[in-house]
Amino acid sequence: MKQLLILIARAWQLGPSRLLPPSCRYTPSCSQYAIEAITRHGALRGGWMALKRLMRCHPWGGHGHDPVP
Amino acid sequence: MDNRNLLLAVVLSGLLILGWDAAMRYFYPEAAVTAPAEAPASPAAKPAGAAAATAPSGDLGNEAQGQRKVDLKAALASPNRIAIDTPRIAGSINLVGARIDDIVLKDYRETVKKDSGPVRLLAPEGTPGQYFAEFGFITGGVRQPANALWQADGTRLTPETPVTLTRTDAAGITYRVRLAVDKDYMITATQSAGNGGAAAAIIQPFALIKRTSANASIDQFVTHSGPVGVFGGTLWDPHSYAELAEIGAERPAGDPAWLGFVDQYWLVALVPGGGRTAPKVAEAGFRALGGDLFRADLLYNAVTLPPGGTSETQTRLYAGAKESATLDRYEDSGITYFGKAISWGWFEILEKPILWLLLSLNSLVGNFGVAIILLTVIIRAAVFPIAQKGFASMAAMKAIQPRMQELQERFKDDKPRLQQEMMKLYKDEGVNPLSGCLPMLIQIPVFFALYKVLVLAIEMRHQPFFGWIRDLSAPDPAHILNLFGLLPYDVPGFLAIGPLALLLGITMWLTFKLNPAAVDPVQQQMFAIMPWVLMFVMAPFAAGLLLYWVTSNILTLAQQSYLYSRHPQLKAANAAAAAKGGGKAGR
Repeated sequence: MKQLLILIARAWQLGPSRLLPPSCRYTPSCSQYAIEAITRHGALRGGWMALKRLMRCHPWGGHGHDPVP
Repeated sequence: MDNRNLLLAVVLSGLLILGWDAAMRYFYPEAAVTAPAEAPASPAAKPAGAAAATAPSGDLGNEAQGQRKVDLKAALASPNRIAIDTPRIAGSINLVGARIDDIVLKDYRETVKKDSGPVRLLAPEGTPGQYFAEFGFITGGVRQPANALWQADGTRLTPETPVTLTRTDAAGITYRVRLAVDKDYMITATQSAGNGGAAAAIIQPFALIKRTSANASIDQFVTHSGPVGVFGGTLWDPHSYAELAEIGAERPAGDPAWLGFVDQYWLVALVPGGGRTAPKVAEAGFRALGGDLFRADLLYNAVTLPPGGTSETQTRLYAGAKESATLDRYEDSGITYFGKAISWGWFEILEKPILWLLLSLNSLVGNFGVAIILLTVIIRAAVFPIAQKGFASMAAMKAIQPRMQELQERFKDDKPRLQQEMMKLYKDEGVNPLSGCLPMLIQIPVFFALYKVLVLAIEMRHQPFFGWIRDLSAPDPAHILNLFGLLPYDVPGFLAIGPLALLLGITMWLTFKLNPAAVDPVQQQMFAIMPWVLMFVMAPFAAGLLLYWVTSNILTLAQQSYLYSRHPQLKAANAAAAAKGGGKAGR
């Protein structure tokens, strides 16, 4: 499960993310954040953290340095 | 910025979807999606030469017999036929073999021409478009002859007058198939057997659908064509006809709720049960019979009938159009996932409201093309705030530009530090030019759903727009390269650019031109080529889709012009950036 989620994030980084213009409001990027969170906190908790991060990654959300706790 | 994200989101998801489709069309150009009943049977359909081995007990067997060619008119002129006539379908029952092999749909015309006949869905065995359902019995492990003649107790099958077919075999067993039809597309067949003989008999009722794939629509990524069913409560539709032919036979796991064949717009399916008690299904699955022929089988459990005993099973046959409302009505009446005969896919929850909105708009304005334009306007208006916010942020960025340059001067040798300081500046000032990935992640499914609705909606079939576009579900009929038909030659498929496709290329090129120049040279090149590539890729697609796309581009243009007029300083900066180094400079 953990590997699968990380694979999805990696696939996004290598595929669509390369083609699309830079859109990251945060550092690290959502996909990097997801990989770190899942590695550090496991699939369930890390996945939830990554999802929450995605949910605030929009024009009305925050921005700036936002590392995995 | 945001706008370009949006465009890219659309374009990328579009390319993914359409690329596949375009490839399919390129490799199978002869099968017209819009005219499934017109394509002639492949002349190469050779008789399946495999030995007609005796079928094992309780099996429908492979039917590997030679194919004989039959003329449709001659077949339908046979006296052994009982007429079917309902508000929505017409046709006849074949008393030879108890088959329903002649059904036309009154509400749908074969072609866009007003005087073209109704769509022929079912046709007798051996005709070029053969496609039929048969109800029969296996007695003592032997399938009753398919050429047996049945007697009917009526002359017309209508919603008010059911018809019962009867036949008694040499052993004294009387078989009955009672056929009733509703006001839509559902025929209910009640098969019963009564043992009037002296010995007990083992009886297995069955129903089957047999068809040729020669007139089937193309199996696309967004809309399935081929064997389909719901087994064990899940939709089963992984195979195209070609794949089924390779596998030979497939018996999906789980109890069947329904099974049959779908085309882009039509469905013929068997639904077991429907009577007081659900009959036990012994075997339900699909089989490739060779020579472009395929069969869906529904075989019930064997029952032993003592002398004087009777048994009864009920099967429903759906033969009609894939109208979402009609299918859902049957689903509500208890047929599991019947509505999923339409390939909604993952985004059904988005597609259904979009379809509902599209149909409401259509009934409001009375022109499907106008309805598509209005739908596009509504959806674009819904995502407008995202673009607006992006522009506001870009304007705010301009205000802090001097401090930004100061930072760049100060930390030009320390990239990570510069990055950090920039982020800090953004934070202090509360601005960020980037929109984040969520808007894009949300928009991709919405635009994909919109695209799918336009492909799936049978309601768009044969709907006119204005002028030369008389069918929004077909490709643009006018071609630029032969001067709209003035020059007497057919334009080869991939060069068939219609006015709508040209408009698509131009409007897309304009939207890219209005956007801030891309920093990355690879991206720049992509933007330069993409409109023209897409023009060719999209040209063979339904005119309604192109209409949606062109409208969407024009709205993007209008939105950009409006937002630039609200923030004039951005326009100046953008123009300056474009001028400097051929648009290579960043913002």
